[in-house]
Amino acid sequence: MSRVFGRRRMPGRRDAVQQRILAMAVAVTVAFVVIIGQLWYLQVLEGGRFLDASDRNRIRIRPIAAPRGVLFDRNGAPLVDNRPAFTLSLIPRELPRDTESRDAVLGRVASLLRIPYRELQDAVARVQTDSFLPVRVRRGLTLQDVAKVEEWKLELPGVITEVEPQRVYPTGRFAAHLLGYVREASDDQLKQGRYRRGEMVGQSGLERLLDEYLRGQDGGERIEVDAMGRPVRLIQQSEPRSGAQVITTVDRRIQEAAEGAMEGHTGAVVVMDPRNGDLLAMVSTPAFDVDRFTESIDRSAWLRVVQDPHFPLMNRAVQGQYAPASIFKILVAAAGLQEGSLTPGESTHCTGEFQLGPQTFRDWKEGGHGTVDLKRAIVQSCNIFFYHAGLKIGGTTIVRYARAFGFGASTGIELQGEKFGLVPRPARRTWPLGETVNLSIGQGAVLVTPTQVARFMAAVANGGVLWRPRIVQRIERPESGVLYSDAGQVNGHVELSPVVWEFLRRSLLAAVNDGTGAAARIPGLDIAGKTGTAQLIGKSKAALGQDTAWFAAFAPVKDPEVVVVVLAERGGRGGEVAAPIARKILNAIFFEKVAAIEVRG
Amino acid sequence: MLHVDRRLFQNVDWVLLTAACALVLMSVMTLATLSVGRAAGVIAVRQAAWFGVGLLALLTVASLDYRRLVRAAPALYLLGLVGLALVYAFGRAVSGARRWIVLGPLSVQPSELFKVAFVLMTVWVITSRWAQPAGRATLAMTLPIAAVPFVLIIKQPDLGTALLLFPVLMVLLIGAGLRLRLLGGALAAGFAALPLAWLVLKDYQRERILVFLDPFRDPLGSAYNVIQAKIAIGSGQLLGKGVAGATQSRLAFLPERHTDFVFAVFAETWGFVGCLALLTCYLLLLLRGFDIAASSREPVGRLVALGLTSLLAVQVMINVGMVTGLLPVVGIPLPLMSYGGSSMLASLVAIGLLLSVRMRQFQ
Repeated sequence: MSRVFGRRRMPGRRDAVQQRILAMAVAVTVAFVVIIGQLWYLQVLEGGRFLDASDRNRIRIRPIAAPRGVLFDRNGAPLVDNRPAFTLSLIPRELPRDTESRDAVLGRVASLLRIPYRELQDAVARVQTDSFLPVRVRRGLTLQDVAKVEEWKLELPGVITEVEPQRVYPTGRFAAHLLGYVREASDDQLKQGRYRRGEMVGQSGLERLLDEYLRGQDGGERIEVDAMGRPVRLIQQSEPRSGAQVITTVDRRIQEAAEGAMEGHTGAVVVMDPRNGDLLAMVSTPAFDVDRFTESIDRSAWLRVVQDPHFPLMNRAVQGQYAPASIFKILVAAAGLQEGSLTPGESTHCTGEFQLGPQTFRDWKEGGHGTVDLKRAIVQSCNIFFYHAGLKIGGTTIVRYARAFGFGASTGIELQGEKFGLVPRPARRTWPLGETVNLSIGQGAVLVTPTQVARFMAAVANGGVLWRPRIVQRIERPESGVLYSDAGQVNGHVELSPVVWEFLRRSLLAAVNDGTGAAARIPGLDIAGKTGTAQLIGKSKAALGQDTAWFAAFAPVKDPEVVVVVLAERGGRGGEVAAPIARKILNAIFFEKVAAIEVRG
Repeated sequence: MLHVDRRLFQNVDWVLLTAACALVLMSVMTLATLSVGRAAGVIAVRQAAWFGVGLLALLTVASLDYRRLVRAAPALYLLGLVGLALVYAFGRAVSGARRWIVLGPLSVQPSELFKVAFVLMTVWVITSRWAQPAGRATLAMTLPIAAVPFVLIIKQPDLGTALLLFPVLMVLLIGAGLRLRLLGGALAAGFAALPLAWLVLKDYQRERILVFLDPFRDPLGSAYNVIQAKIAIGSGQLLGKGVAGATQSRLAFLPERHTDFVFAVFAETWGFVGCLALLTCYLLLLLRGFDIAASSREPVGRLVALGLTSLLAVQVMINVGMVTGLLPVVGIPLPLMSYGGSSMLASLVAIGLLLSVRMRQFQ
């Protein structure tokens, strides 16, 4: 070394110690080469990996939830809205590292906010301990809760309160089935990979159907933090993009009226515009509390809902399948008249009993209705007349008409889980006559949903056009215009002679004005309607009052604007239970609107 | 202030001096980018001030004849021991270690200054007539000189500085011409005693050795320093992130970033190329030191130069080795780079002595 680095060369040969010093210098040089090698490895070969690591070190991503799109009714009134709500979140990375002090923090939170300690522990256990992403633990904190957390902030590292938009509903149960509810993505949904943990996802109804549109795009902040997690500066911010607006066909006023009218009953209401298939209201009772579902719901409350004998989660308007009962007589009459097996003048003497071989079929009225013609039979809902008529027309023809009117098949409604009802297969050539007898009064092997009945009544009202029930008019964004629009769609047509339509309408008007549907009568409004009472098997005293009550109507008869179908399970007679409900709804539609306008004027 | 032979100035080792000044410049620049505590830049200013003080000490030492200092070595050594003892009595504890004595606005770290006194003392003993010729007697006489301060320093606790004493002693014995077989025997005995040393170590010191063997043993605990330092160095890549981009250092992910881990800050900021320049300065400085030792014609000068060069070399290698993950983490500052007045002063005094030996090599 001295030869290389010394300005002055050593005179003479190197002594032993000089050789030792040279060796040490070489050793030090070798050590430096090793260090440089390590630096080459760290900085050049592995540098990219470490650069990523340093980025992850200093950047925290804070998601900002996008407000869900708002659903509007047909007049622009909001059906749901968002309000800022406080959420308690834990940031795993910032919780104390050792288990003991972490548990102390969780314990403090649990006692401050009265949250079960286990819930907090589970929430933390689900995610990785070095995650920067906040884990949402409890939504819907009160202002006092937030104040408590802020007050204890220093003792609660890793515990934060966030502001998130949360769904609000006009009333807790408003249009619960139609709108559906929103909950945190379930574990199954997370597995599909489309959602992030803690994200709110529509779970039923329109919230689920239109989730892609309603969700919007969450924004976020990328914040540079130091080792203590203190924000140093904002690197990047992306604004949340709120979800699209949905304009539905629902009329909030009618929906509210229908819900009010159904108070205390189990069943469904469907209100439809026969001119275009627009669904103006859809009610299913009992409803569930949408608000309660939106917050994190504990297991026992969930079980209570799921195990409720009244199945509150079921949307009876599209999922409930019932015998149509006397409502079906309209269809049988239409089939008979069109096929020529029946004439309006045809009459039968009704004694209250009908004998078919060994079987005896009874009328709902003890002693019968006396001599009735077709119109009278509809007005009085005489079973005996229709037993005879049904046998004349034949089961196959009735089934053919039932299919033509859309029973036993999807209505095309976009709500999930629609049931198709039941209509016997026309392929069966030989009908047991008893079955035909039952079928002709809408009992036995036929089941329908309230929505199918509404569509059928709309066809009677509009002269045979079967509309696909429309719920969503259009989906739009203020900045980018219309994303989706539905102009309505005809998906079936029943050709009957105009005389037949006219006869049916007049008979149904008479049924309200002066028959079984009298309870639906409103002076000043021509209402066409038909009652129905689906009897449970066996006519014991105990079964009395357990019947399913139907009332299907449209109004005004001359130029029909609405169809109202009411179904009440275990309600009793259609004329006594369902018709008054329909009356309330029709009254609200045609008269309270006028009153409201007058008040405003 | 002193009568200095004009001839001396012809033999000033400008390469050595320039390399040292370049390193201090890099240190001040690096520290200026860090904000430790309340205000940014304060530590850089202090470091520059200590450099000024150290430079005066360097000039003073260089103008003195090193032989006079070696003659005063026993006194300096005893003074150093007293300083180490005083740390016990009046020491200020910083993060669990008592290493500092507070003198008014200054806090002095006696163990740093003691290192120089230790070298001088060892040279004094080895070159004394009782220790001639170099053999078992020399070994026996020098071992206690290292052992006593070793115990005092390791109790502070400051494992790094304490361990430093033995390699330096070994280098001095090699330079004194001790037979290598004898040295090898002593070394073997030392290694045989290592398991005993494990018992003496504090828990955190044991943990550090385990962490060195397996850095991911506890990524947020003991290994945090090592991992963060590696991330800082590695993310600097070839050309570095520049002052503004060195987030690891500026955002305080890196612990001890102005003292023991200052190399990682430098590496993150200036990258592989910068590190190469820095290490070249150190290597130049050290090779000049060895050259001074080899060129010196008399044993005292040779051993003083050798001892001080090895003192600097061992510190540089251990510090950079530990920061880059080649060695376990022991608290040793990087001479001339790490923030700290005592360390700066000691390093500059050592360089002053090297210059002094060089200037007088033809006398």
